[in-house]
Amino acid sequence: MRRSAGWRRWWPEAAAAAGLLIAPFVLPFLGFSPDTVNRIVVWGLFGLGFDLLFGYTGLLSFGQSAFFGTGGFIAAYLLTKNLIASVLLALCIGTIGAAIAGVLVGLIALRRTGIYFAMITVAIAEVFFFVENSPLSDYTGGENGIPGVPAPAFDLGFLKFQVGTGWSMYWFLAACFFVGLVIARRIVASPVGAILVAIRDNPQRVQALGHSTGAYKLVIFVIAAAYAGFAGGLLGVLQGYMPPDAFTFDTSGQLVIQTVIGGTGTLFGPLAGAAVWLYLRDFLQGPMGLGNAWRLGLGLIFVLLVCFLRRGIIGGIRQLFARPPAPAPEETPIALAAPTLVSVGPAARRRVPENGHSGPILQAQGLTKRYGGLLANRDITFSVEEGELRGVIGPNGAGKSTFFKMLTCEVPPTSGTIRFHGHDITGRGVAQVCQLGLTKSYQVNQLFVRLTVRQNVTIAALAERRGMFKPDLLRGLHRVPGLDVQVEQTLALVNLSARADTPVAELAYGEKRRLEIGLALASSPTLLLLDEPLAGMSPRERAETVQLLRNIRRGRTLVIVEHDMDAMFDLAERITVLHEGTLLAEGTPAEIQRNSFVQEAYLGGVAAA
Amino acid sequence: MTDSVGRVSSRRAIIQGAAAGAVATLLPGTSRAANEPAIGTYPAGSSGDTVFIGITIPRTGTYAVPGEDVLKGYQLAIEHLNAGDPLIRMISPHTSKGVLGKQVTSGVADSGAKPNDAVQNGSRFISQNKAVLITGSVSSAEAVALNKLAQREKVIYLPGISGSNDTTGKDCVRYSFRECFYGQTAAAAIAPVMVKNIGKNKKAAYLVPDYTYGHTVHQSMEQFLKAGGWTTATAQVAPLGAPDYSSYLLNIANSGADVFININFGNDAVQSIKQAQQFGILGKQILSVPYNTPFLARDVGADLMAGVYAATDFWWTLEDRFPLAKQFVAAFEKKFGYKPEWGANAGYMQLAMWADAVERAKSFYPPDIIKAYEAGPEIQSTVGPVRFRGADHQLIRPVIIERGKKKADMKSADDYYEVLEVVPGEGLMQAPDAFGCSLGPAT
Amino acid sequence: MLSWPNFFSQFFNGLALGALLALISSGLTIIYGTLGVLNLAHGAMFMLGGYAGFVAWQHTGSFALAVLAGSLFMVVVGVLIERVVIRNFYRRPHEDQILVTFGIGIVLVELVRLGFGSDTVSIQPPAWAMGVTPLGFLIYPTYRIVVLGIAAAALLVLYFVLYRTRIGMIVRAGIEDSGMVDILGINVNHVFMLVFGIGAMAAGFAGIVNAPVVALTPDAGDTILVETFVVVVIGGVGSFPGAVLGGLIAGEILSLTSMVDPSYSEVMLFAVMTLVLVLRPQGLLGQQDRA
Repeated sequence: MRRSAGWRRWWPEAAAAAGLLIAPFVLPFLGFSPDTVNRIVVWGLFGLGFDLLFGYTGLLSFGQSAFFGTGGFIAAYLLTKNLIASVLLALCIGTIGAAIAGVLVGLIALRRTGIYFAMITVAIAEVFFFVENSPLSDYTGGENGIPGVPAPAFDLGFLKFQVGTGWSMYWFLAACFFVGLVIARRIVASPVGAILVAIRDNPQRVQALGHSTGAYKLVIFVIAAAYAGFAGGLLGVLQGYMPPDAFTFDTSGQLVIQTVIGGTGTLFGPLAGAAVWLYLRDFLQGPMGLGNAWRLGLGLIFVLLVCFLRRGIIGGIRQLFARPPAPAPEETPIALAAPTLVSVGPAARRRVPENGHSGPILQAQGLTKRYGGLLANRDITFSVEEGELRGVIGPNGAGKSTFFKMLTCEVPPTSGTIRFHGHDITGRGVAQVCQLGLTKSYQVNQLFVRLTVRQNVTIAALAERRGMFKPDLLRGLHRVPGLDVQVEQTLALVNLSARADTPVAELAYGEKRRLEIGLALASSPTLLLLDEPLAGMSPRERAETVQLLRNIRRGRTLVIVEHDMDAMFDLAERITVLHEGTLLAEGTPAEIQRNSFVQEAYLGGVAAA
Repeated sequence: MTDSVGRVSSRRAIIQGAAAGAVATLLPGTSRAANEPAIGTYPAGSSGDTVFIGITIPRTGTYAVPGEDVLKGYQLAIEHLNAGDPLIRMISPHTSKGVLGKQVTSGVADSGAKPNDAVQNGSRFISQNKAVLITGSVSSAEAVALNKLAQREKVIYLPGISGSNDTTGKDCVRYSFRECFYGQTAAAAIAPVMVKNIGKNKKAAYLVPDYTYGHTVHQSMEQFLKAGGWTTATAQVAPLGAPDYSSYLLNIANSGADVFININFGNDAVQSIKQAQQFGILGKQILSVPYNTPFLARDVGADLMAGVYAATDFWWTLEDRFPLAKQFVAAFEKKFGYKPEWGANAGYMQLAMWADAVERAKSFYPPDIIKAYEAGPEIQSTVGPVRFRGADHQLIRPVIIERGKKKADMKSADDYYEVLEVVPGEGLMQAPDAFGCSLGPAT
Repeated sequence: MLSWPNFFSQFFNGLALGALLALISSGLTIIYGTLGVLNLAHGAMFMLGGYAGFVAWQHTGSFALAVLAGSLFMVVVGVLIERVVIRNFYRRPHEDQILVTFGIGIVLVELVRLGFGSDTVSIQPPAWAMGVTPLGFLIYPTYRIVVLGIAAAALLVLYFVLYRTRIGMIVRAGIEDSGMVDILGINVNHVFMLVFGIGAMAAGFAGIVNAPVVALTPDAGDTILVETFVVVVIGGVGSFPGAVLGGLIAGEILSLTSMVDPSYSEVMLFAVMTLVLVLRPQGLLGQQDRA
C-alpha cells in the first residue's frame, strides 16, 4: 500500500509483457500449439473480469456465459453483415452491449448475495442461451452460430498489417490481453478496488462505513460483463466463427474451474488455469489415451485443488514466496494526552448542510420498535448536545442494541423520528447517515479480517473522502487527496501505527477492539456511537481503551453503550438508563447513582440477587 | 457470407507472403508439377511416410452414441486403407496400400457435439499434427463450424452426420464434401411413401426440436405432404435436450392427429418416442421419423418401432441388394461385434471416397483433390453407384425408406426394419443453388 | 391448443411435474437449510440415484426393490460424500462449498459415463402401472399418476420426519438458527451427516421414480439442477414448504404455458422467478434474513 519505487509498482505488468513476448518462442516446445495458446489468452482475458468479480469482490457468478455470448454475437453480427468494417470498433460495440446486458442482469441478480446470487446467475444465463438459440436465431444463426468473422486489419498509413491465424493472431490477442490486464490492475489499485476487496470480506460494514455497496457491486458486475463481452468477440475473431456454445452453462462452468485452478484474486489465475485446462484436455485425450474419460480426470483435479490448494496455482506460488508474519511488537501504552490530531476531527469535512441549526446534535422523538409481537423499544425520547459524552446503560434485554441500531438507521423505527443536526434522518440508509457524520462502532468486531490494519482504516477514510459512490476506477488509491494523512492519523490515534501492515487476523483481541473504534473514527463522524467498546477486555486493555475514549472525545460527540458502569460513571457527563425498552432515567452520574428507580430496576436487581 | 469468405482468403494470400502467395497467383491451375505452392497443411502434412487424419466427434453428451458409431466407421476405413482391403478397393480402385502409398494415422478428440470444441479440435489437428484431412460431426452445427474452419485453413473437411440443408446449402464451402443426405431430401423421399401407404388427406402432429434443423425439416415435411392433401393438426416446438416431453405430448394426444411426425434426433428422439408411448399416442397415431437416428430401434425397442416410417442413409439388410453393403456389414460386425448403423456407414464411405479422390488427384495438394472430387465420376458405394455434385459438394445418393417390423416378423435380434424403397437421389436432391450455396475459392 | 379438456390435462400434468420437482428441490433446500451448503451436485445425485435403481432393477427385476436399493445406496453415497469432503467445508466460505459440490457433480457424472457409456438406459415400471388410465377428461399414463402419488407420499413422509420427529425438530432448529443446535448440546456432526444423506436420498429417490418416465443418461441431472434452482428461488431457499409450493408453481408454468407456445415454457419459468425476485426477494415462503 505504501508508495513505492516506480519499477516495483509496475513489475507485474513488465513481467506480463515479457511473458507474453516470449511465449510464442517457448510454449511450442512444451507442446502448446498456437491455436491453444490463443484460446488460453482469450480465456485469460475473459477471466480478468471474472476474477475482479469473484476473486476480489467475492461474487461467484455462474452466468458469465451470458455476457461472453452477448458481446461475441453482437461483434460477429456487425462484422459479418458488413455493418461495421473495423474489427476493433465491432469488438467495442459488442463490449458495450455486454455491459448493458450486465446492468440489466445485475439489477436483478445483485438483489441477493451468496448462494442466491449464484443460482440466479445460472438461471438468467439459461434465458440468454434460449433467446440466442430460438427467438433471435435469424440474427445469431441459432445452433449454427455465425461463421465468417473476419480478423482485424490495421492501416497506419505507412504500414498495413493484416492479422492472420496462428501466431499472427496471437500478437493481436496478446495486445488485447495486456491492455485488459493493465486496466484490471489499475482498477484493483484504485479506491474502488480497495472497497471491492472490503465488500468481499464484510459487505454490511462497508455499507455502514458510508459506501454504497450496491452501486460498487453493480459497477464491478458490469465491468466483468464488459470483459466477458470483449473476450467473446475475440473468440469469434480468433476462430473466424462465433459458436452458440459461448452461451452455454459449460462456458461459465469452465471459466469458474479455470479461475479456481489458476488462483482467484490474482488476475493471472484465469490465464494459468486456462493453460492447465486446455493443455490437460489435449494431453488426457491424446498422449494419455483417456478418450471420453478426460472430463473425469479434470473433474478430479478440480475437486482436489478446491480441497487442498484453494489459492490455486498462482496463489500457491505466491504463498511460497510470502514473508512469514511479523511477530507482535511490545505494546506501547496509549499516550495520556492526545497527540497532534487536530485535523482528524469533525472539522475535516462538514457534510451536514448548514441550516443555522443550533440545538441538540441528535434528537430522537418517540422511538418505538416492534418485532412482530415483541416490543423492543417503546416511546423513547432522547437528545444529545454537541460535544457531550453520553453513556447509555441498562440491564440485559433493556433494548440498548435495538435503540442504537435505530439511531444509525440500521433498522427503521416502527414509529418516531430521529433528527441529526436538525435534519430528519428517519428511514434513511445507514450509508447515507454515515455520510452525514453519524456512525457507530460495533459490539462484536466487524472488521475486514483478510485485510491489513491500514487497509481497514483506509476503507473507512475513503467513505469520508469520496462520498457514498464515485467510479474513480483508474485513479491511484494514494492519489485521493488527504487520504494517507487521515489514515496515518487515525492509526496513531488508536495506537496501531506500528501494526499498520499486519493482517487483522493476526491482531490481539484488544488491538482488534481499538481498530473497530478506529474504523468508526476514520470516517470523521461528528457523532460517534460506541456499542460496548470495553466488552471482553482484560483490565489492562480496559484501562487503555478508556484512555483512548478520553482522547477521541475532543471535538466529537460520543454516545457509549456500556455494561461496565464504573467506567461509565467515570467517563460520561450524562447517563441515560434504559429498562425494558423504555427510558427510565437520565441525568449526571451522581443523579443516576442516587435515582431510586434505577437502583431498583438495575442496581437493586443485582443487590437483591 | 460469401463476401466474408472472400475477405478471409484474400487475407491469407497476404499472410502467406512473398514466396507461396506469389506462385499461387502467378501460376493458377498449373500445379501438377512439384512446385505446387504451400497451402493449408500442404506439403508439410504429406512430406513424410504417413499422413494424419484428425477425427473430431462427440464422445460425451447427447450425441455420444451416434458419435461412437461414426468413429468406428472411420477406424474400419483406416484399417482397410492401410491394409489395402478389397472392399475399399471397390470404392477407391486406385488404392493399393495406404493413400498414395503413405500409411494413414489418426487422432480422435471429443467435441461433445459443441461447435466450439469441434473447431478447437480441428484447429489443433491442423496446427499440431499437420492433418491432411479433418473429419467428423453428429450435429450440423459442428459440421457448419468445421466447414468454415476448413475453408479458412485450406484443409479438406468431411462431415460425419449432418442433416441440415445448410451444410451444403448456404454454409457450403469449397473444402467440404458431404456423404449423407439432408432434411429436405429426407422429406421429399418419405412424404410420397407415407401418402402412398397411409393414405391421403391425413392430419399430422409435429414434434419439432427448436433449432434450425428442426424447423427446416418441419417446413419441408409440411410442404411435401400438402401434395397428398395432408394438414397440420399441431406443431409442438420443444427445446433441444428437454428431458420431459409430457406437456408437448399431451397437446399432441389431444390434437386428433392421424400421424405423429417426430423430427427429434439422437437421445431426444429416444426420449420423446418412449414418452409418446406412455401417453398412448403410438397406439392411435402412426409414428414417422423423417430423419432416423442411429440405434433408435435398439434404444426404444421393437414393439414401439413396429409400423414406424423412417428415412435413413443405410440399413444393414441392404446387404441383400448391394454386394458392397454385404462386405461392409460383415467386416464391421467381425471387428466390432454388432451390425453397423448408418453413422458407421457414413464414416467409412467418407474416408473411402476421400482416398479415391486423392488417388485420382495423385497428390495431396488440396486444390487438386477438390478438382478430383468435383469431376464427379460414378463411385461404387454400399448403397449402389453414387457421385459427388461439383456445384455444392453434395453426394447424390439414394434415400432409404424403411418401416419398423413387428417383433414376430423379425428374423434376428437386429432385424428391426424392412426396407420399403430405395429412392434414387437424382431428382430428389434439390438444385445445387436451392439453398444459396456459394463454394468460395480453392486457393 | 386452448381447449378445456386440454387445459385440465395440462393442469393435471403440471401437478405431476410439480410434485417431482418439489421432491428434488426439498432435498436441496433441506441440505442448504441445515448445513448452509448449496449442493451443486444435486442434479448429479438425481441422475446417480436413477442409475443405482437401474442396476438393482436389472439384477432383481423388481421395481420396488430398485427403489429401495437405489435409495439406500444414495444415503450411503450422501453420507460418504459428507464425511470425506463436505465436512471439511463447513467453516469455509459459501463459495468454496459451491465450488467443491460443483466439482463432485462433474466427477459423479463422468464416473457414470465411464461405467455405463452415454447410451440411454431405462427402468420398466411395475406391470400393474403400465398402460394408460382414462381420467374422464384425459387419458393419462398410469405410471405418471403413480409418480404423482409416490412423490406426494414421499413429501408427506418428509413433512412427518421434519415436523413430527426429534431429528426433524433438530433439523428445523438448525434451519432457524444454526447456533441453537450447538446450544442444545446435540451432536451436530451426526445430524449434518444424516441430513446430507436424506437430501441425497430425496434426489436419488426422485431419480429412480422418474427413470421409467424419462430414460436415463449421464447428463440427465443438468436440466433438473437448473429447474431446481428456479424452484427454490421462487419458494425461498431453506424452506421446505417453499420448495413444495415452488415445485408446484414451476410444474404448472411449464405445463400450462405449453398450450400457448411451448417453445417459451422454460422462459416463462425464468420470468416468474425474476418477478418473485423483484417483488419478494427472499422467495414466496422464505425468511427475510437468510442469504
